[in-house]
Amino acid sequence: MSRIGVFVCHCGLNIAKTVRVSELVEFARTLPDVVVAEEYKFMCSTPGQELIQNDIKKYKLDRVIVAACSPLMHEKTFRKVIAATGLNQYLLTIVNVREQTSWVTSDIEVGTAKGKALINGAVYRARLLSPLVSRVIDVNPDIVVVGGGIAGIQAALELADTGKQVYLVEKSPTIGGHMAQFDKTFPTLDCSACILTPKMDAVLQHKNIKMMTYCEVTEVKGYVGNFDIIVKQKARYVDHDKCNACLACTEKCPGKGVSEWDEGLAKKKAISIPFPQAVPQKPVIDRDSCTFFLKGKCRLCEKVCEQKAIDFEQQDTFVNIKAGAIIVATGYDLMDTKPLVQYGYGKLPGVYSALEVERLFNSAGPTGGKVTLRDGSEPKSIAILHCIGSRDKNNHEHCSRVCCMYSLKFAHLFKEKTSADVYQFYIDMRAAGKGYEEFYNRIIEEDVKFIRGKGARITESKEEPGRLVVEAEDTITTKFINLPVDMVVLSPAIVPRADAKDVQRMFNLSSDKHGFFMERHPKLAPLSTMTEGVFIAGVCQGPKDIPDTVAQALGAAAEVLTIVSKDKMELEATTAIVNPAVCCGCQNCVRVCPYGAPSFNEQKNVCEINEALCKGCGQCAAACPTSAIIARHFTNEQVLAEIEGLMEY
Amino acid sequence: MTNFKQIEENLKKEAKKLLEAGSVAVVLAYTKGADEKHPQPFAAKKADDVANIIFNEYCNHNLARYIVRYAPGTKIAVAVKAADSRAVVVLIQEEKIKRENLILLGIPVSGMKNQKTGEIIDEKTTGGLTNPVVYDVLLGEEIHTGKPVSPYTVLEQYEKMDKDARFAFWKAQFDKCIRCYACRKACPMCYCDPCFIDQTKPRWADKSPQSHGNLMYHLTRFQHLAGRCIDCGECTRACPVDIPLYLFHKKVAKDCEEMFKQAAGMKIEDKLVMVDFRVEDSDKILE
Repeated sequence: MSRIGVFVCHCGLNIAKTVRVSELVEFARTLPDVVVAEEYKFMCSTPGQELIQNDIKKYKLDRVIVAACSPLMHEKTFRKVIAATGLNQYLLTIVNVREQTSWVTSDIEVGTAKGKALINGAVYRARLLSPLVSRVIDVNPDIVVVGGGIAGIQAALELADTGKQVYLVEKSPTIGGHMAQFDKTFPTLDCSACILTPKMDAVLQHKNIKMMTYCEVTEVKGYVGNFDIIVKQKARYVDHDKCNACLACTEKCPGKGVSEWDEGLAKKKAISIPFPQAVPQKPVIDRDSCTFFLKGKCRLCEKVCEQKAIDFEQQDTFVNIKAGAIIVATGYDLMDTKPLVQYGYGKLPGVYSALEVERLFNSAGPTGGKVTLRDGSEPKSIAILHCIGSRDKNNHEHCSRVCCMYSLKFAHLFKEKTSADVYQFYIDMRAAGKGYEEFYNRIIEEDVKFIRGKGARITESKEEPGRLVVEAEDTITTKFINLPVDMVVLSPAIVPRADAKDVQRMFNLSSDKHGFFMERHPKLAPLSTMTEGVFIAGVCQGPKDIPDTVAQALGAAAEVLTIVSKDKMELEATTAIVNPAVCCGCQNCVRVCPYGAPSFNEQKNVCEINEALCKGCGQCAAACPTSAIIARHFTNEQVLAEIEGLMEY
Repeated sequence: MTNFKQIEENLKKEAKKLLEAGSVAVVLAYTKGADEKHPQPFAAKKADDVANIIFNEYCNHNLARYIVRYAPGTKIAVAVKAADSRAVVVLIQEEKIKRENLILLGIPVSGMKNQKTGEIIDEKTTGGLTNPVVYDVLLGEEIHTGKPVSPYTVLEQYEKMDKDARFAFWKAQFDKCIRCYACRKACPMCYCDPCFIDQTKPRWADKSPQSHGNLMYHLTRFQHLAGRCIDCGECTRACPVDIPLYLFHKKVAKDCEEMFKQAAGMKIEDKLVMVDFRVEDSDKILE
């Protein structure tokens, strides 16, 4: 016989609006084994908590059911509440009458009925619960930061300064990310490289940071406190330990590739560094443009290298890293605007994408900082088109947040570097940031022309071949405009990285409908993810500017420290165990476990679970055909009883 | 194709050779049963046993069924038709046996007959294959004549039924079930001991042959065989009340093949679709 207490929360009107709470309480009182049922306006408040604790003592309760919000919100709170009275914390059952009940209906009859069914199920389940003891595990103090853009750099530096060992994994040959491609940053117009390169250098110099460029994470195993990460070091064909960065190889190299760094506007040598301030300042060979790899002979670089650093035999290698926590800061891509044929990008030479223009402004860019068209001439008139593919129901619904501001920055730089007329085609200006509105006003005064209307089409001018015509509706004057210009800049939507899905799967993250990684809670846990110990920062979570990105990076670093600053941590007791008597040795559990906890014992022909590795996700229990696996706290009996209770009502 | 008598001779010869040399502990093959139409599975353990081996058009039993009975590490030779060889492949994938402990005596064959009805079963339940997908010794010439048969053509009629009609169809079929578990006994993939249905804690379904218990047993068994069933049809032939189990298995196999681009037991290197995650996997299963 159990002694169950049921506590139903109003959550103000959040629950009470579409669930008759008093009726749930009356209903609960009629259920067998329920000795007390109470309601309260805010069960999570101190008086609410005291109500539960007093009833536990008064009625000698041995099971507690709290019908309130999602267990993700307050399960921990209520576990502490009952643990404080001496009751085992796993004897608590949360019934979600908010997210899964009151919030999903506007019909109070339906809401109340569902609430009753859920409580009935919970009572059935609660009877079968057993006390469990939490496990304490060792925490690895090292940290892996994935992505070497400004977010990753900032987080790595901050963590390394606390004395922790940080592994900074970057896919491309240099750290720096998109910020290193920019010329100036809004609204202060300080030089991007001037504020970024000191940080890049600090990463290189820091004794606690192991910088892993040209590397990709290929596998993540383990769990918070004890991640096992496999990183692929892509073959550079240059031994970076021997290379002294004389770059004689680059000088002699006949191979010609396209520079991703310059957004395809310039050529690069097959052996090269992406840009002069690259960190590390050491070249890699691009297989796709290297004469030796393409034609089987050349090896000029090998001949000129005095350090004997060139190694065409180099293979991809794999490095195992152990870490306690992970920050994912993998950044973004710009939407490919080629499919939007109305803008003619890729076809009309005068149409540029925003990042290409960043490179045109940059003194280390393809034109040495001069704004010229592809034919070398200086544009006389320039149109900047906002919201290309973003805020657009046919493409990406989200606002890319930074385009208004960088478009203003472009206008300023165009005015500074050319004598061109500059036009902005915008839907509306979004300048909500510190100093942003002021910047907007400043650009207005710089004689930039603002046309409120989204650019609809770019065509080639019939009268003046080579020039472009921007078609748009000016929504202030409601007139259609055909504006001839020399150059068009598209501000494309910021979208998740092309391989974001793979990264998401690897780190067990969830994503929003746009594909950006999802935070645990949009307001109160913006940097945590559903996977404990994995945090996100920067634009991989959603479009944002540099100040916000840096703020997130610092926040993520602080979150990481809450884990790795302790050498032990408590883990859920909800692990799985195998009943060897019914195990058929099919090894499904071994195959489905993301943590590598089960293994096959050939002698006994049964599987066994290493509880230290088990996270209690329950996949093995679901995959087990003979139900030999018992997921503690979610045993078959408990779950079946709950279903029975749900169906019975 | 090589005729049945010749295959039988070749099978005897190979079995004798292997047993005399001591390279295997047992040869799984067929022997005479009550009459010619009812041969039995047979485990030859000594060279003298070989004389009892037969092979004819009624030797349908999937011999892969018996491999898991032997202790791990036992060297076994098995006579495998196309379907048997696919079952062996799945067992290897599931690590129930090791390839190096097996000698597969491949039998390319067509024109096998149902013991009960005498009808030729090629189109119905051999997955459209005539040659074993893996073998060490071939006991006859590979068959490359005849048009390739799709294992799924027999589904045509079945797939025309809508959801309600299908449910009614299976309800009527399962109501016939007497829970003799012959389907489970005949199935090379049903090696779980104990089967979920025999468990008492929790008791997943009624054990008496009643409507909902029968439904639970069969539907769960279908699900446990998803992506593993190699379409040998033994369950259907073993059924004393003629439930066309192969229809359901084939439908699941077809769905699996469409979703995961892989038929069960074709290649040893393949991963088991239901317990392997690939990014390119279809999400249709979630719908």
